[in-house]
Amino acid sequence: MTSAQPSSSIGSFLHRNDFLVRRLHSLSGLVPVGAYMTVHLLVNASILNGAAAFQKNVNAIHDLGAILPVVEWTFIFLPIIFHAVVGIWIASSGKSNTAQYSFTGNRRYSMQRLTGYLAFIFIFVHVFHLHGWFHAQWWLSNVAEPLGMAQFRPYSAASTLAAAMTGFVWPIFYAAGIIACCYHLANGIWTAGITWGVWLTPAAQKRATVACTVFGVALTVVGLSALGGVKTTNIKEAEAVETAIYESRVQTGEIKPNEHKRAGDHHEPKLPVPEIGQVIEAAPISGNN
Amino acid sequence: MIAATPEVAKERRKPQKINVRILRQDAPGKPQYWERHQVDYEPDMNVISVLQKVAAQSKTSDGSAVAPVSWDCGCLEEVCGSCTMVINGRVRQSCSALVDRLLEQAPEEIELRPMNKFPVVRDLMVDRSRLFRALQRVKAWVPVDGYYDMGAGPKISRDDQERDYPLSQCMSCGCCLDACPQFTKIELQRQPNESEDDLKKRRNEAYDEGFVGPHAISQAMLFNSNPVGKNMADERLEALMAPGGIQACGNAQNCVSVCPKQIPLTTSIARAGRAVTVYALKKIFDR
Ligand code: HEM
Ligand code: SF4
Ligand code: SF4
Ligand code: FES
Repeated sequence: MTSAQPSSSIGSFLHRNDFLVRRLHSLSGLVPVGAYMTVHLLVNASILNGAAAFQKNVNAIHDLGAILPVVEWTFIFLPIIFHAVVGIWIASSGKSNTAQYSFTGNRRYSMQRLTGYLAFIFIFVHVFHLHGWFHAQWWLSNVAEPLGMAQFRPYSAASTLAAAMTGFVWPIFYAAGIIACCYHLANGIWTAGITWGVWLTPAAQKRATVACTVFGVALTVVGLSALGGVKTTNIKEAEAVETAIYESRVQTGEIKPNEHKRAGDHHEPKLPVPEIGQVIEAAPISGNN
Repeated sequence: MIAATPEVAKERRKPQKINVRILRQDAPGKPQYWERHQVDYEPDMNVISVLQKVAAQSKTSDGSAVAPVSWDCGCLEEVCGSCTMVINGRVRQSCSALVDRLLEQAPEEIELRPMNKFPVVRDLMVDRSRLFRALQRVKAWVPVDGYYDMGAGPKISRDDQERDYPLSQCMSCGCCLDACPQFTKIELQRQPNESEDDLKKRRNEAYDEGFVGPHAISQAMLFNSNPVGKNMADERLEALMAPGGIQACGNAQNCVSVCPKQIPLTTSIARAGRAVTVYALKKIFDR
């Protein structure tokens, strides 16, 4: 009958360190996860300036080279996993009652949890779909790629993204995921302001709601425009631009040749390019949608 | 012309009878069941006077004789909090729930349920001891250790008075707890051969693990502002940071929406959040 009795030992550990865990959860939602998500969507939106501009930004990130996986895991993946696992534990500790009390605050509380679950599903699938989660060769060739995952190639940034986003199932999935994440972050900043004691009075909390709404809407627009930018990318033209950038960088010795980071390397048969319509047809990713 | 005034028109619409639907329960741990009753309408009734009629009749609307319905009440003027129940889906005091107002919202029927988050003793009576236990957890009192005349107390500024007076109006009714999605029910059953004292001990341990609740957070802020109460400020903050403390709040803000005394609970929660932030940092760096 009692809900206070933690059932598992992880549950009891979390409960005993309730305060620290909840504050770390709140902090991790803001930095690094929230801050990263904001930067991530802004960088993605640079695809609106063309494949070359986008490729430059992606290059800047991938120039981290060997330490990139370390950075990815310490500042992005592990904090998200921590926030998500604790978030699910928190969400399961309460009991929504919006049917009985339909106050705005209560709806926002339920939405924060719902969008948390959606973000969880979205982020897990999204990282698998484009990144693959792990870049060990056996994982990529035996698991990720046969499933049509790990689609993104950093040296063919715009073209591989565009190829991964053909059809309408993936774009709708991404649009829903972006909207859920943006709501979750914007409303999360508002609740974090109460958690840490930044906005105290109802008037201050109202002003904070306005600011967070503006932020959330703006971030959603940025995120969805990035998606629009991907959908309107001409794969053939983008590949030409990317090849030119790649070859010039190889020539100047800026990067070593690396076919794994370019489109088409693992795929048999190689991407035939001439007609856009055909690319979509023949692209080996078609197995997954 | 005069006969058509809204007042008179309203008067004509007054019903002869009032239908009441009550969620009953015979004893702790027993199943709940709905029962319909019908009582004569009188002007200016409240839910308590409806319940008095229901209990006096002890007969359902289809005529079968039943045990009198049980409920709690005290002051009858919305200051003791003991008559709290869920009326037409919303937690509130039954003494200040006026029948005419309720019938304006839903003319067919008045629905009465016991509070959701506290163990039912019988029918509409609940055991709110967890609420008082939470006040003990956060030491919601001013420590005075004798009967000596200590002279006049320190002056309290006008601003502080205006901030603190509303918090002092809490009547420990539990509405805020009943509506809070993070405050979940804790109900223990007596085990075979368990004494009353053992059960109470076990119950308090379970209560102490659960969320303290917005009322206790607000009282902690009230007594931390008091010139004498301040002496225990750190102990109260420690209690708020313990398992089931302020961190269990999920900012749904139902508490402030249902509090009959309009206590700014979410401001207290944010103030407590700020206070424990500062206190936790102090604890780390002031060592
Ligand atoms: C894009 C990724 C995410 C970002 C940027 C993010 C950000 C945030 C922020 C800033 C907060 C506010 C913390 C506070 O109220 O103090 C928060 C709260 C929350 N997050 Fe996330 N989050 C993300 C993913 C997730 C996921 C995957 C879950 C899993 C279900 C989740 C569950 C929650 C829950 C339940 C809360 C409410 C915590 C509370 O009210 O105490 N979040 N999030
Ligand atoms: S603000 Fe916190 S205490 Fe108040 S109802 Fe929401 S979760 Fe409960
Ligand atoms: S804070 Fe308000 S709702 Fe909560 S117990 Fe006190 S008076 Fe009742
Ligand atoms: S009887 Fe005291 S509040 Fe209703």
